[in-house]
Amino acid sequence: MARSRGGDLDAYAVLIARYTLRAHRAAFLLGAGEESDDVVQEAFVKAFRHLSRFRAGESFGPWLLRIVANETRNLTRSRRRRAALELRLCAADANAVTADAPVDEVLAAERRAGLVAAVNGLPDRERRVLVCRYFLDLSEAETAQVLAWPLGSVKSRTWRALNRLRGLLAPEEQNRFSSG
Amino acid sequence: MADRAGWQGAVESELRAAGRALAVPPASDLTAAVRQRLEGRAGHRRDERVLRTGTVRRRRGWRAALAVVVALLAVLIATPQGRAVVLHVLRFAGVELRQGPGPVRSPGSGASLPGERRMSLERARRHVSFPILVPAALGRPGEVVISDGGRVVSLIYRRTPHGLVRMDEFAGHLDQIVFEKFVHLGNVTEVEVNGTRGLWVTGPQELVYITRDGTPAVASARLTTGNTLIWGTRRVALRLEGNLGKTAALAIASSAR
Repeated sequence: MARSRGGDLDAYAVLIARYTLRAHRAAFLLGAGEESDDVVQEAFVKAFRHLSRFRAGESFGPWLLRIVANETRNLTRSRRRRAALELRLCAADANAVTADAPVDEVLAAERRAGLVAAVNGLPDRERRVLVCRYFLDLSEAETAQVLAWPLGSVKSRTWRALNRLRGLLAPEEQNRFSSG
Repeated sequence: MADRAGWQGAVESELRAAGRALAVPPASDLTAAVRQRLEGRAGHRRDERVLRTGTVRRRRGWRAALAVVVALLAVLIATPQGRAVVLHVLRFAGVELRQGPGPVRSPGSGASLPGERRMSLERARRHVSFPILVPAALGRPGEVVISDGGRVVSLIYRRTPHGLVRMDEFAGHLDQIVFEKFVHLGNVTEVEVNGTRGLWVTGPQELVYITRDGTPAVASARLTTGNTLIWGTRRVALRLEGNLGKTAALAIASSAR
């Protein structure tokens, strides 16, 4: 990290290799779609040019993802087609519904499909906060950093979004929690 | 309000499970493109455009990523060993393989992962976000350790025909690096485990745990014992370590359920 800050491209190449997949997953799930590679490339170039602003002791991951999220935002703002941004389950999981699978697996796969459809239907901000918290596995503080929101907004939007998804829980689970 | 945490936890774990099953196309290797842009002189605008179109063209079909990884491996093997600067890094199933000396030379028997907790297999299953695979060939593990808030599960077998055998498992979907290994790339070969690609690494190697924020955990640095097999399923990445031959390691790996 220190060597990268000193302008050492060999050291920076190691950072690129280490963070590419994570940055790419973030760009894709935040809506960059087919342009995710371009967004990530742009983010790595900008990150290197701004490494002087990176404070020692800070973690590089969220700092980079903030640039990725920002680039993705610029891209999706200029793009009208929202359909292209829809999250999908991978083919193997979607097929579990029809395949010769145990009943509980089929039910779980159906529930996942319903959940992903509901996440796609959420207002943009709520969708992004869920992507950061649960699909990218970021903490509340990291999410606040990546989305450049106050921590309170991360908490309240997460809460609102989870509340909207509550109805999708299996009925028996809802009963369990409302009676217990 | 008392039930709030209950249903909230349930929605959260459903979301995490859905997250693991999301379709995400593979990423291209951008190191060369970024380097070229950063090294480029004035008037590089046109170069940028050419490079960016190049990336678009390379993204035909998701299978491309596999080709990139395989090509990278070929490059690495062709690289003369002992080069002063580590330029090439191979990342596979949550493990980053780097050619070159590691940070810590002493084996350090006290090496440990952050936040290690011993518990029963059943409790461990409730603590982690991915399914824990157990190799039928070895049976129930003698010890189960979860580390770093459930990010890694280690199954430890002390009495096997091969001596001490350790299997580390971590979520395979996060595209994060969990371990960093310093190897001579001549010691790395490609193998097949249950129809998917795996890597077989021979000889003791230096192994370092990489925390969630991407920094190495110094206290975790240690020399591995024997050989290592690295592979992954869709949801779990695994590394099997011990004084095992390749055939034995592959038999254990393919019995993991």
